[in-house]
Amino acid sequence: MKKNILKICIGTPCHLMGAADLLESVERLEPELREKIELKTSHCIDNCCDQAPVAEFNGKVYQDLNPEKLHKLISKNIR
Amino acid sequence: MSQNTISEVVKLKRRLYVELLRLVKDGRLLENISDLSKKMITKETPRYRCCEFKERAIFDQRIKAVMGFNIAENKEKSLKELAVSMTQQQKNKNIVEVIDTACDSCPIDKYIVTDACRNCVAHKCVNACPVNAIVIIQNKAYIDQDKCVECGKCAQACSYNAILENQRPCSRACKLDAISSDSNRQAKIDRKKCVSCGSCIAACPFGAITETSDLVQVAEELSFQESKLVAMLAPSFVGQFGHQQSAAKVKYSLKKLGFTKVKEVAAGAEMIAAEEGRELEEKIKKDKTLLSSCCPAFKSLVENEFEELSDLISNTDSPMAVTAQKIKNTNSDLKTVFIGPCTAKKAEALEDQNINYVLTFEELTALFTSYNINLAEISDEEELNDAGILGRQFAYAGGLQKSLQEVIKVDYKSKQVDGLKRLKKELNLIKADKNNYNFLEGMACTDGCIGGPSAMINQQTAKKLVQKFAGII
Repeated sequence: MKKNILKICIGTPCHLMGAADLLESVERLEPELREKIELKTSHCIDNCCDQAPVAEFNGKVYQDLNPEKLHKLISKNIR
Repeated sequence: MSQNTISEVVKLKRRLYVELLRLVKDGRLLENISDLSKKMITKETPRYRCCEFKERAIFDQRIKAVMGFNIAENKEKSLKELAVSMTQQQKNKNIVEVIDTACDSCPIDKYIVTDACRNCVAHKCVNACPVNAIVIIQNKAYIDQDKCVECGKCAQACSYNAILENQRPCSRACKLDAISSDSNRQAKIDRKKCVSCGSCIAACPFGAITETSDLVQVAEELSFQESKLVAMLAPSFVGQFGHQQSAAKVKYSLKKLGFTKVKEVAAGAEMIAAEEGRELEEKIKKDKTLLSSCCPAFKSLVENEFEELSDLISNTDSPMAVTAQKIKNTNSDLKTVFIGPCTAKKAEALEDQNINYVLTFEELTALFTSYNINLAEISDEEELNDAGILGRQFAYAGGLQKSLQEVIKVDYKSKQVDGLKRLKKELNLIKADKNNYNFLEGMACTDGCIGGPSAMINQQTAKKLVQKFAGII
């Protein structure tokens, strides 16, 4: 089991706001970070579709993301 | 284009689509349209201009384009007034349009000297300039803009990279030089050159260039008890509506949205491959050249700038036109909605009465969102199986060329070129009779339709998904 769990919402509202970019950016993460993360997808996280795209990292929900923000929050919170 | 991640400008546009469509869905368009910008732009929302009032004024212009109106012609009309007259309106001929209030009139001096200039002894810039436009004033090089011919030699010569190329993003993106500035230094589109490729829309960081849309009208028709709308999915649609969302699920979801039928445009593309194949065989016999006709932006480029070559364009209709014709033949009451990654198709559709509306992938995703249809939560599917490999591979650059090689038995040479800049170069070669092939496949977007301006996923992924759907891999 990997220590960190990243869940990216792939629901239609999140897709509209760039969920595909987020998914792609995970594959571009530095190998040191990427190998510690288990990537999952979700149909909807927390019903906060107005703040799309949304992801959950180690149990905490992050809204209105983009690849840069996602990278920052992963680097900061990785275990 | 999805090789760049989506910006705040794009997000704002998509949010507007969703909010506007919700008004249509709830039957509150006339009642609430005048207040939409006020609701969406408050004192707290991030601001890019002087005040929220200007922000809202720009927003209102954008709404007019989404309702399908020409912004410049309807500048003084209120949103409500326009919403009432929406059904009787003439379709707007200018698909790509500048919102003049949003255009920031970026500097138009192409080369400027920055503070990095050290007033060095060598003065390579002065020596490099072929028109003596550079003088040294107050210990710094200075470009006399009246003399400058924008050749860029000074910028290349400077040892400190102190001379900056400062082209407007919109005109840099336009490979056909269709964007200039008017007397107020605002962007102006030359309609004789514009092929509605949509590159400038994506390039402008102020979101000042927009496209007209059929979104609101399609949503209005969907709300009728018995919709007569038929969705025609462009071959590049596979994978565009969310991670791992199958073609069959997209079909089911479109029906749920209210479309009465869903058809693959790849079916029309298959017919094109056969017909264009026959046309090409004739050309091969006479050793003449044939230009492909399915990309409307490429076709417009030939017609606008290479009139003498326009006879070489294939007489075969586009896959969209053929598919629409087939649908209308079965029942002329049906209304066709082409769904693709392309702005130029919106222009093509204006000339074809068989096509009632055109939506982009981006616009359809907004439509799903506003109707609370989340494809990820749907498990139902409906089989979509209208076409085979020969039609489905039209989605990416080189696909049409390959399909033709399949249907033609004789040996011949062909070439595939994507991107408007490269195409222009290639057409010049053909004009000079320097081409050694009988067929040119021209696609305005890099990588073909999967690289279109309204594609939702990156080209590499899209190509794989299309090939999988077609059974190639």
